[in-house]
Amino acid sequence: MKKECVAMLLAGGQGSRLYALTSHVAKPAVPFGGKYRIIDFPLSNCVNSGIDTVGVLTQYQPLELNAYIGTGQPWDLDRSDGGVHILPPYMRAGDQGTWYKGTANAICQNMGFIELYDPDYVLILSGDHIYKMDYSDMLRVHKERGAACTISVLEVPMSDASRFGIMNVDENDDIYEFQEKPKEPKSNLASMGIYIFTWSKLREYLLADEADENSSNDFGKNIIPAMLSAGEKMTAYRFHGYWKDVGTINSLWDANMDMLSVSNGFDLYDTEWPIYARTPTKPPHFTGPKAHISHSMVTGGCEIWGDVENSVLFSSVTVEEGARVHYSILMPGVVVKKGAVVEYAIVAENAVIGAGARVGTPPSEAENADDWGIAVVAQNLNVGDGAVVNANAMITRDVKGGIQA
Amino acid sequence: MINELHGIIFAYRSNPELRELSQLRNTCSIPYGGRYRVIDFILSNMVNAGLTDVGLIVHANYQSLLDHVGSGKDWDLSRKHGGLRILPPFGYAHKADGIYRGRMDALAGVRSYLTNIRQDYVVLAGGDLAMNLPLRDVFEHHLKSGADITAVCTSSPKGDPRGSDYFTVGADGFVSDVSVHPFTAVGYESLEVYILSKSLLLSLVDHCDAHNIPSFSQGVLLNAVGKLKISPYLYDGYAARLQSVAGYFARSMELLDPAVRAQLFDPARPIKTKDQSNPSTYYGPESLSVNSLVSDGCIIEGEAVGSILSRNVRVEKGARVENCILMQGTTIQAGAVLKYAITDKNVRVNPGRMLMGHKTYPLAIAKGEIV
Repeated sequence: MKKECVAMLLAGGQGSRLYALTSHVAKPAVPFGGKYRIIDFPLSNCVNSGIDTVGVLTQYQPLELNAYIGTGQPWDLDRSDGGVHILPPYMRAGDQGTWYKGTANAICQNMGFIELYDPDYVLILSGDHIYKMDYSDMLRVHKERGAACTISVLEVPMSDASRFGIMNVDENDDIYEFQEKPKEPKSNLASMGIYIFTWSKLREYLLADEADENSSNDFGKNIIPAMLSAGEKMTAYRFHGYWKDVGTINSLWDANMDMLSVSNGFDLYDTEWPIYARTPTKPPHFTGPKAHISHSMVTGGCEIWGDVENSVLFSSVTVEEGARVHYSILMPGVVVKKGAVVEYAIVAENAVIGAGARVGTPPSEAENADDWGIAVVAQNLNVGDGAVVNANAMITRDVKGGIQA
Repeated sequence: MINELHGIIFAYRSNPELRELSQLRNTCSIPYGGRYRVIDFILSNMVNAGLTDVGLIVHANYQSLLDHVGSGKDWDLSRKHGGLRILPPFGYAHKADGIYRGRMDALAGVRSYLTNIRQDYVVLAGGDLAMNLPLRDVFEHHLKSGADITAVCTSSPKGDPRGSDYFTVGADGFVSDVSVHPFTAVGYESLEVYILSKSLLLSLVDHCDAHNIPSFSQGVLLNAVGKLKISPYLYDGYAARLQSVAGYFARSMELLDPAVRAQLFDPARPIKTKDQSNPSTYYGPESLSVNSLVSDGCIIEGEAVGSILSRNVRVEKGARVENCILMQGTTIQAGAVLKYAITDKNVRVNPGRMLMGHKTYPLAIAKGEIV
């Protein structure tokens, strides 16, 4: 059946700047905010915006992401008409077919999927941002201005502008120039990587781009500049609110900490715009007789017997008596044994921090501020009793007891 | 093999001793253990044993139950073929005044459903007992023992004898005598879970209907002594029977014991419930939460001690709850103090209020009340 707008979510990236956290999963499947994975945010935004047809383009380490999305039931995207669909690269007749060469190529290879729904508009999303956004309002603006392409933009501090793709706009917010990470930015309107295209236009440019052997088949590098130089109507949609790229260890840690306080601009408890997730079946969490929990989030299956401050704990985390967890993110199934101290750290799924071990240090204790950073322990690892994991460390192998790593 | 078992849950019992808690719902849909309703336990026990078809017999006061189980999708029972079937009393040609006088009455009321059961065996169970029964094991026991009926029972009595049935077991390992609602407990107490073949069930339903015997205990159990082989299946794991407000309170507080939780929430047989997509629970900078069981979606800025909190509870700054059970959506406003209280759904306790019950007589505050 015809759909007015179909969403295509680019979820194939490796997220290499998350290092050990994405060694087994694609970035959109990285746990976030206590009960979620990064992809829950764009998916929930789609559903809350009334978009019921979403293609999720996967390529790198897709198994966990595929299983997580499943039938789409947690997002009410298990539909008989539309719903959520996983779209991996595939072979065509005559031995034709390639991996996704770039973001635009990924969409181009799935043109057949889009055309099943004969849409007027296509919404392009990525799976690495935390934000709440009403895409239907963006679509309204796109239609009102009669644009070929609408790009969602955020005003960033001028000093940060050179880290982003910057849109230079006229008095009507129509885009006349796009600069990728400019040294001397002319404006502070950063692209959020969210595009709405009039499908007939996008189709035309995708085919032309595909025919160009020198193109890197990327939206930012090729499609957007090509449309601009051809004089297509391209307009900026100004977004106001919380938006954070979680592509690095520091930004992932920051964004998790932001969830602890509504004053940071993001309210997970807002029932008007719920974020949905597939959650494991766990009993309520338990706080032991000597537990101390402050400014933290705790969820199902956790057993807290020790001290937890300024931290985000995922399901089934155990913090034993006398253990201390400060300013840290503990992913599902992590165990922090008696007397261990975890500070300024991200500990991935099912890792065990042995008794009396120490992971990470507060910035105030750093000898050299440049060497300090969040400590990361990858999934399923054991940090032995009494071992020490320094600040900024990235642990990808078991650490024996008493060893400094 | 395991798909050969069909589940029937009797989900209509209301216990007047539960006072405020059962005003708007029957015992099966009373919130228990923070995020659960009592029905979740037997329903999950069945699903975890591989059952795909479950009939839920309801009668009165079942709106809250329907709202909770919905299509059954949270238990993977929303199926094209089989799955969860709600059985309201529409087809009931009543002989009494419209209520089910007993389980045989209820089964007669859904006889056409029973005829269409596609499995050879049926498990009958009450919906008002919280336990984590290894039902697959019970079924294997039934098939191996060659019994006509398998009765799940416990050696550690859970309920009021006047509301329970008891089995005496003979030298051959089968039940030699049954005591129905006696003054004092004798032998093993029934946990009201029975497995029998579909054909035997149908003939018993017809027999009881023709002889106007409404009760399962009278019509089946007593009648079977000396005629049918009843095999006891002993289950001595945790089981909570909720028969009064004080009993509800005591059974709830037992969940603060890690050993009890390990039995009831055995990860190998998880208890499933309605998914609500709540965020995690947030603890404020000055909060205190000790010896408590807390569900998701709560915001705790005050103090919770020895308490059980359902989803979306708010405990504001300076408020303190001690030995309390706070059901879904309860708000305890700044500075209020509660001890030995049970607040039903969406209760609000205004700032500075003090409410105190006692261990033996907990204060129950009805759904939606503002104190």
